[in-house]
Amino acid sequence: MLALRLARGSHPLALMRRLLVAAASAGVGFLLLCALGYAAGHPAHSAGSVLRLLWCFVPLAATVQFAVAVARTDPSTRPRSGLSAVGLGPVRLSVLAAVSTAVSCTLGSAVALLFFLHLRGDLPGLPFDGAAADLLGADAPLPAAAVLLLLALVPVAAATASAMALRRSPVRASSEADDTGELVPSEEIPAPAAPPSGLPWGVALTAAGLAVEAYASRGGAGSPFPLPGKLDSTPAWVLVGWTLTAIGLATAGPGLTHLCGRLLQMARPGAVRLLAGRVLMDEARRIGRPLGIVCAVLSGVVAAFALYGTGARPFGPLTALGAVLVIGCTTATLLTSALEARQARAETARALLRLGAPASALRAATALRAAALLLFFAPLTWVIAELAALPLTP
Amino acid sequence: MVAPPDNDVIWARSLQHSHNGSPALGGVSLGIREGEILSVTGPRGSGKTTLLHCLSGQLVPEQGEVWFNSVPVHTMGPRLRERLRRDKFGWIAPEPQLVPELNTWENTALPLLLRGASHREAKKAAMEWLERLDIGMCAKKRPHTLQQSQRQRISVARALAAGPSVIFADEPTATLHRTDRTHVLRTLTSAARSHGITVVLATHDAEIASLADRVVPLLDGRRVSTVALPAEADPEGRAACSLSV
Repeated sequence: MLALRLARGSHPLALMRRLLVAAASAGVGFLLLCALGYAAGHPAHSAGSVLRLLWCFVPLAATVQFAVAVARTDPSTRPRSGLSAVGLGPVRLSVLAAVSTAVSCTLGSAVALLFFLHLRGDLPGLPFDGAAADLLGADAPLPAAAVLLLLALVPVAAATASAMALRRSPVRASSEADDTGELVPSEEIPAPAAPPSGLPWGVALTAAGLAVEAYASRGGAGSPFPLPGKLDSTPAWVLVGWTLTAIGLATAGPGLTHLCGRLLQMARPGAVRLLAGRVLMDEARRIGRPLGIVCAVLSGVVAAFALYGTGARPFGPLTALGAVLVIGCTTATLLTSALEARQARAETARALLRLGAPASALRAATALRAAALLLFFAPLTWVIAELAALPLTP
Repeated sequence: MVAPPDNDVIWARSLQHSHNGSPALGGVSLGIREGEILSVTGPRGSGKTTLLHCLSGQLVPEQGEVWFNSVPVHTMGPRLRERLRRDKFGWIAPEPQLVPELNTWENTALPLLLRGASHREAKKAAMEWLERLDIGMCAKKRPHTLQQSQRQRISVARALAAGPSVIFADEPTATLHRTDRTHVLRTLTSAARSHGITVVLATHDAEIASLADRVVPLLDGRRVSTVALPAEADPEGRAACSLSV
């Protein structure tokens, strides 16, 4: 109840983020139900059904990541004096975050169920009733337990992940044996996070992934792991290689962001370049990982488009929905992390304004950071995409 | 509108302000002469910080006028006031309010860099002031590794390095112990005197106020002649005010 009450009084933008989580959860729920519908409709093709279910886990992971990022930025679940005064410590606050995440995801799942039943034609009396009945396997009955299990997947996963993410953060933010989270007295300046060290691992994983992909594509013709829809000529080893590349990029992201900030503040910087570079170096962990993931996803999309985008109808509606979910969720996660970084620096920004720093200088620093990241990561994404697509092009 | 006297660097007339309806200032007038150290005293909640915010152009008072060197501050737009703060004023807060990503000398040089000074001369000025305040050895350290008194001295150095004409110090030693407190205050006042910088010092401590040339006591948002409250109300008055609960 407290979660709902806090949500009722929160800012429209915070509610908007929660609604986006609900929408993403609805999308994933719909995909999962479609896989179930296919399985119920085609009992003979069990391998195909399992493949469809497995592919659903990519958007599911993206949605969970987005839900965690939103829970981190949510002002109602941050340690603050008002709730601390009534005895809500970090543990209860993480429970609160889990509950609010679960509420928004459950809302999304319910919407997905209604939409699915409506499109199957099980809820008569509405426009577009049963519009996709044959695609969704309308003639076979759905097992209720399976529906509930699949729909509970997103809320449970997202709630657990956000509870764990928020439970860990107070321990990291403050010193040992101090359980007050961000409520440290204002004289205490929290030590900045150590510079990220994952860059060598990330580069090695990316290179290994590309190598596996290139090696696998020599053999060529086998297609044991097809994507539902039309992307049906992807060998399993290529997918393994691409996954390795994606993990490598996500690992290398913080290191690359840190490097970017270091380059930005080099060689006699003025105030704007100094602030932009140093903040980027300090926020590398927060921004870098989602940025690496977005980079990996975008390079995957570019590579897939280069390979299969030339056909007349390259992919079906469900593949499109999944792709939109993955791209949307990862991008939204990146934006939410940027917002979280901004919230964490609000106090410093206020102090700078009190010094008489022009607001335009702070905006210029932000714009410079974004431009530097774009200049650094856009060519990187393109190069990875080209390298990934190179061995597969005939 | 009355023109302000010429010899005052800051001149304020009947300032009135309230925060969301709760009154903070009720008609305060004062003039600050060039190069003097003026102390605004009073207990917590007596409107010292609000007065300093109004004088330094961070707040526009609801009524009343503020003039800086015969230029009206209360009619300026936010952009001009921001520029005035950057170019002419220094601000020392109760907390050091340093930028955690920058090291000591960069923090000190930040106001100069924001004004567009070159990297070399900003660093030179910052290092000079850090040496003068005995914190030259931590010029390369980040704020989180320093003690609170060192951080507060960095904040003083930051205010001084920009070469302002007025420094506003709002309880600059509130979070320090007594020895650090005297050190910080002595460096601030001696530097201000040797460079002819006007200092407006808000404090609730009579001992600190004794360092100033002139004291302006405030009580409940008004100027009074002394902040000493009547020690004990007479017993009849107490009986008249008693509540039965």
